[in-house]
Amino acid sequence: MKALEVKGIVKQFPGVLANDSINLSINKGEIYAIVGENGAGKSTLMKIVYGLYTATSGEIFVFGKKVDIKTPHDAIGLKIGMVHQEFMLIPRFTVTQNIVLGDEPSKGIVFDYKKALSEVEELSKKFGLKVDPAERVANLPVGIQQRVEILKILRRGAEILIFDEPTAVLTPEETEDLFKTLMKLKKNGKTIIFISHKLKEVMAIADRIAVLRRGKLQGVVEKGKTSEVELARMVVGRDVVLKIPKAEAKVGGTVVSVRDLTVKSKRGIIGLKDVSFDVRAGEIVGIAGVEGNGQAELVNALIGFTRPVNGTITFDGEEIRLITPFNIRKKGMAYIPKDRKMRGLVLPFRSRENIIMGQHTLYPFSKNGVLNNIEIDKFATKKLEEFDVRPRDIYTRAGNLSGGNQQKLILAKEMSMEHKFLLASQPTRGLDIGAMEFVYHKLIEEKERGMAILLISLELSEIMGLSDRILVLYNGEIVGETTPDKTTEEELGLMMLGLKRQKRVAQ
Amino acid sequence: MKDVLKRIVFGKREKYWWMNALVPLISILLAFIVGAIFIKITGRSPVVAYKLLFGASGLFPGPYWKSHFAEMLLSSSMYIATGLGFAIAAKGGLFNIGAEGHFIVGGIAAAYLGYAKPFAGLPKFIHLPLIIVGVMLAGGIWGAIAGYLKAKRGIHEVITTIMLNWIALYLIEAWLVIGPMGAAVETGISGTPYISLSAKLPKIFPPTRLNISIIIILAVTFLIWYLFYKTTFGYEIRTMGHTLIFGMEAPKAAGINVERRTIQTMFIAGAVAALGGAFMVLGVLFQYPPIFEGGYGFDGIAVALIGQNEPLGVILAGILIGALRTGATTVQLAHIPKTFPSIIEGFTVGFIALQALIRYWIMKFVQRKKKSIQIEMGGGAK
Repeated sequence: MKALEVKGIVKQFPGVLANDSINLSINKGEIYAIVGENGAGKSTLMKIVYGLYTATSGEIFVFGKKVDIKTPHDAIGLKIGMVHQEFMLIPRFTVTQNIVLGDEPSKGIVFDYKKALSEVEELSKKFGLKVDPAERVANLPVGIQQRVEILKILRRGAEILIFDEPTAVLTPEETEDLFKTLMKLKKNGKTIIFISHKLKEVMAIADRIAVLRRGKLQGVVEKGKTSEVELARMVVGRDVVLKIPKAEAKVGGTVVSVRDLTVKSKRGIIGLKDVSFDVRAGEIVGIAGVEGNGQAELVNALIGFTRPVNGTITFDGEEIRLITPFNIRKKGMAYIPKDRKMRGLVLPFRSRENIIMGQHTLYPFSKNGVLNNIEIDKFATKKLEEFDVRPRDIYTRAGNLSGGNQQKLILAKEMSMEHKFLLASQPTRGLDIGAMEFVYHKLIEEKERGMAILLISLELSEIMGLSDRILVLYNGEIVGETTPDKTTEEELGLMMLGLKRQKRVAQ
Repeated sequence: MKDVLKRIVFGKREKYWWMNALVPLISILLAFIVGAIFIKITGRSPVVAYKLLFGASGLFPGPYWKSHFAEMLLSSSMYIATGLGFAIAAKGGLFNIGAEGHFIVGGIAAAYLGYAKPFAGLPKFIHLPLIIVGVMLAGGIWGAIAGYLKAKRGIHEVITTIMLNWIALYLIEAWLVIGPMGAAVETGISGTPYISLSAKLPKIFPPTRLNISIIIILAVTFLIWYLFYKTTFGYEIRTMGHTLIFGMEAPKAAGINVERRTIQTMFIAGAVAALGGAFMVLGVLFQYPPIFEGGYGFDGIAVALIGQNEPLGVILAGILIGALRTGATTVQLAHIPKTFPSIIEGFTVGFIALQALIRYWIMKFVQRKKKSIQIEMGGGAK
């Protein structure tokens, strides 16, 4: 039986055809994955099914019946539920309060919390999703919060569950847990639609996989009859060389040198302990580690968002006592932040305005404090071309660009700035294969131009492929230093988990 | 011509550029409709009321038009000043409730510089600019205090500006005006002494009281527009305006000195709002009275909101509010209290707050129009 069918769905946004007559038919009780690059139209399609967008044309059938879904309310009525990338939970409420919110059991007009508690407990037992119904959501790890979201939509009787990039916010262990949950739901006869751009995950969990590219359906394949390489080819539209081109390092003098750096985390505990390392011109130093082991503290100290408790940072031979983003950038530091929206771009600004941010006070973009729009436009046009930002229109607002293109815009902005040192914090986070490849090439180019690069990444393959030297962070300390040819991903993995330590050669 | 205007007002290549103007216009229209319903409910005639209101507003020619027009521009210049005070801060992502305080600080500074000895004897062309500069400095410093507290101590500007309003009010009314700055008892004047002749704003439209305040504020508005959209300083302020309230850090990460810009933005906001107070003292009252009839600061918030925080919008909204206030007295002839225009103003702001909804309606309307045109054209081709 078909749980969900979409026929000829078209969605036209101003200037973009997000979905171009897409036909899908999804069986009841299967895990159906939809993959594609950022901006391929996956989320748009699912938002149409969930009633957040209205399709320009096309039909939707749920359990064989033609339906008209105008709002999420309609979708819920048709037993369609969606787990969004950003959770829709109220942190101060308990798990139970969150789950029943909007459909509370009551005694007369009084909210019956006890009944709600037992309902939630029953629900969690029925599907084998363990939660503590009385705990506040704010105290729960992300993985469990997601479970609460799932329970919330299950309580509304959802039969078709849509997951929009559910693993983007999860740690590897939490991802494992989620997959177990998905299998349990499948056993219960639920239909699962899984949106992702991570091919490994899709291959691990899905029964069938639909590939979208630039709004068009490229094909639907069964997991058993395909491979990761074939999928990658379908997603990108050409053969993907996931191997990273290696370039010999022509190492110059030390640009950045960090000594005994100790930094407090946002929560006030020591997040980085006595870390020392050097980054030299023309080399990429990779920092490997599981997220939350001091990367954020290191970045914040280097860019000047947090003042270190102890230690020194020397830039180009000069010790900088008080680092602020303002003065460290003047010294020649470029920074690719891991969170594009929070630290990288001003979203309502146009590409042309974003691309000069940080160098807007320099000639020729301005003179005596007055902006030179002609020069800015010239520069922006050139850079959008060079960094392949799509659309090429310099008047597009950054918020309307897809994730990959936002990242390219940031690269264009940072790499065209006068700099000697590039701090790249998870530069490929949330990007698809095509955009990743692009970022790698740009980083290598930078290195060949003699820049000193500090690369912080959670992806081991990235660290192994790009770095000339690798430092491993665990629990705020550097537990190992090695080079890609002297180690393996397995060994790095053990170090990242704190199971193996390596003596460092004194610098 | 249309294209040039479009560029100046709404920035280049905005697809629905007219939307930014249509939303406030619809809000104003809706407010007048709701106002009419109110009048009708109380058993009076909305037609008569509106006729009286607009007849005396100075917006349309009619009996005593000259004097109404002058009065309208006179009060508009003050509303534009305080409206800009809010709009400038808002462009930088700050919520400045302090225009009222800046206004009275500007007023007292103007009064002092207007009557005090070493200045009062100067020739007009030196004295007046000196007062204006002094007023802007005083208001700017008052604004910068809130900016400093926000930038360096992280105290929210809403709280500090409200507190500074009260501090200014009591400093002035409970101390300065009755104490060190009060007129000598023998003169029989309450409040500060009257300002010297050289401090009065020159009249430009005799026999009315209209003075150069409207020209000054139009020039200042142009400068603010230039600052926002043509300078690096304005660029930086706008990056902050789009990010600060969401807790985003992109400007800071890009090396923009957000702390310093916050203080400077509040300084400029305070300086411009203070001009309004100076217009009041130098052009209308000629002294600082013991009790100041305030409210210009808070109306400035409404002006900025209706004007969508854009310099040109603030001018137009300031003129609208000025006109409503000028016509207010006359609506009493229709047995409606003269505070009635405040209702209109309130509703306009209310509808502006619903602008997302209004935009959505307009978009729907536009799309339906487009669709029907497409269908018609498709039918024609067959």
